[in-house]
Amino acid sequence: MKIFHPKAYPLEGSLRTLQLQSSAHNSRVQANAGALTNFEVLDFLRSRGASTDPTRVIAPVAPSEFKVYDYLVQSAVCNQTRESINEFLKRCEKYDLANAEKLNIINIRPSSLVEIDPIIEECEKRMKSEDVEELVEMVVQVLPEHPASVGIERGTDVDKISPDQELMEAN
Amino acid sequence: MFFLSLIEHTLCLPPHLLNLPLDEAIKGELETLFLDKVIPNLGLCISIYDIRDIKDGFIYPGDGASTYTVQFRLVMFRPFVGEIIVGKLKSSDANGLKLSISFFDDIHIPVHLLPNPSSLMPNPENKHQGVWSWEFQDEQYPIDGKDEIRFRVHSISYPPIPIEQEKEAKPFAPMVITGSLDYDGLGPISWWV
Repeated sequence: MKIFHPKAYPLEGSLRTLQLQSSAHNSRVQANAGALTNFEVLDFLRSRGASTDPTRVIAPVAPSEFKVYDYLVQSAVCNQTRESINEFLKRCEKYDLANAEKLNIINIRPSSLVEIDPIIEECEKRMKSEDVEELVEMVVQVLPEHPASVGIERGTDVDKISPDQELMEAN
Repeated sequence: MFFLSLIEHTLCLPPHLLNLPLDEAIKGELETLFLDKVIPNLGLCISIYDIRDIKDGFIYPGDGASTYTVQFRLVMFRPFVGEIIVGKLKSSDANGLKLSISFFDDIHIPVHLLPNPSSLMPNPENKHQGVWSWEFQDEQYPIDGKDEIRFRVHSISYPPIPIEQEKEAKPFAPMVITGSLDYDGLGPISWWV
């Protein structure tokens, strides 16, 4: 019977390495040294060598890191680029969003009013409905879409052909 | 969802690793120690981001291994309260729902945080499981696990390690996320698309 879950606090490990010292020396210098968007973690894992094809066994990436990679690759962030995120941050300054809300939007990529509603706190009080619609349109334009939802959005994208072409020319 | 945490740790490097370059050996040791483990109030460690500083390199008398004080940054999984995360349904019973994202399984949606009003349709085969469904404008929307579920993080708790456990109890979960579905736009994605 296992008392300690495999993911338990590494107490025994620290004690083992510090057997000759009188005081435990595992201090957190800075608990929060910066938030990361899902895209940045995906980029970091990719730069270590994680990928979805069969060469993954040779890469210096642990199986638990692969689980994170698999989750991120089939979420909305798999097609994002640094430029699109920077573009989004520049354009959303006029809406006065909190950092947590910007992070949520980048990670989830809401494509409709009802999806952005739980992200922005007190939506009706802070922003008029035209502003919210503008924000949703800007998100759909700037952040690349999730590959699984391409079929659903194709139907509404007929009149938005020109902004997409502009983006493609810029790339 | 992810944060960087700067940690300082005193690490004992076993002698059989002396043939490797120092930073590789230290990175390997740190990975064995921290990867996929939960640190209370910091979250689940996903990966070593980088090593900032390696100091000291003492050899204590009577020991063949050298001891280093290392400063490094870890990528921690620690969602903030109010974050929206997409997960899959693992199981559902009278206490609520259990969701999982592939690397983390202990996400619990208790009954009072399900969309209101919801009702449970018990599974005839297994008394403990059932399918929750939401009644809205006279229509039933079941949460059946066919597609992914969007939930908002309500709170995170780090229960202390128990001294004793009964034989049949579930393995201890050092980090538990409580989520809520009680808002527009939350719940299975197919409800809102």
